[in-house]
Amino acid sequence: MMANHHPSNETLRRFSDGTLKSGPRIVVAVHVGGCPHCAERVAEFEAIGGAALDEVAPVDMSDTAYEHLMARVDAWDGKADADTIAVPRRAELGIRLPEALDGCGVGPWRWIGPGVRWSKLEVPGDPQANLMLLKVAAGRKLPEHTHSGREYTQVLSGSFADERGRYRPGDMDEADSDVQHQPIVDATGECVCLAALEGHMRLRGFFGRMIQPLLGG
Amino acid sequence: MLVEVAAAQDRTAFAALFAFYAPRVKAFMLRFGMTAPVAEDLAQETMLLVWKKAAYFDPSKAGVSTWIFTIARNLRVDRLRRESRPLAAVDILDPSDEPEAPVSGEAVVLTIEREERVRRALALLPSDQATVVKLSFFGEKAQSEIASELGIPLGTVKSRVRLAFGRLREILDDLK
Repeated sequence: MMANHHPSNETLRRFSDGTLKSGPRIVVAVHVGGCPHCAERVAEFEAIGGAALDEVAPVDMSDTAYEHLMARVDAWDGKADADTIAVPRRAELGIRLPEALDGCGVGPWRWIGPGVRWSKLEVPGDPQANLMLLKVAAGRKLPEHTHSGREYTQVLSGSFADERGRYRPGDMDEADSDVQHQPIVDATGECVCLAALEGHMRLRGFFGRMIQPLLGG
Repeated sequence: MLVEVAAAQDRTAFAALFAFYAPRVKAFMLRFGMTAPVAEDLAQETMLLVWKKAAYFDPSKAGVSTWIFTIARNLRVDRLRRESRPLAAVDILDPSDEPEAPVSGEAVVLTIEREERVRRALALLPSDQATVVKLSFFGEKAQSEIASELGIPLGTVKSRVRLAFGRLREILDDLK
């Protein structure tokens, strides 16, 4: 299965240099995990990071840095460090979640409109991550919305279409704030997407106003 | 050298890696706007992980500098997250680090080719564009510094970054 819609070059660069925020980073990680084309791009960007590291003007470490480090090496028992926090609560959603979501808290499916359910995902350390799963029934429209920042949507199952094309499992849709779209899920089956937002989403319509307070927007 | 660290826990080889990379990782953290003590601490943490993870280093995935860059990048991101909420986890050895299958010679060759291609492409890029590309890997603060050094607005630096990466993309595609 080869994806037809990919993250932009800029997004892959920000994914690689670590400046993409945690919500979008997880969406892009899911895409890259299933897309050899983008994985190669990321590997190239990381290689640029390696070259940049080689060539940066070094800054001296303190005189005792190496001794201190070797003392920690000596104290190490050779085991992996234990995780420092409890596993977050994960609701059973009845779908197989991508590995990139392993550390995340998963909220239960909540009804937000006819044929539309969403699950809030919690990213450890980033309560503002704005990451969610959306499940939309066959033939339904996704809630009409605009957003103040970029929106990242990775299709996990099913498919949807809007004026820019058809999005199938493995595809990622990156929509800038100027895109005012209302994707429609194909009639062949329900569609589950992983979505993240930079900035705030502005939902329109009745159901939109209902969900808005839940998103904290 | 990394292979020696992994295979024999070779401290002489590790000392050489530390001497080269720790001051560079520290510089990388400073450019991202970390204070000197935090930058030093993150450079230490990076090198500690290099020691702990040496056995997991997979030459079919990345060159040594690239691998250390990704460790430093992840620690920087984790540190920022922990500052925003003190109890967040830091994944030290996550399962995806484990080599899944025996490393194939072919994959290693492809990685070496990629590393060489990227470095050749950077060398072919006009030097001011190559500088912009590399500095962009040191974050927004580095970009603001370029802006004030060159006396141009940050927006102009950002569009130069985009332009430079566009040119780099063309060169990389030509080299394939």
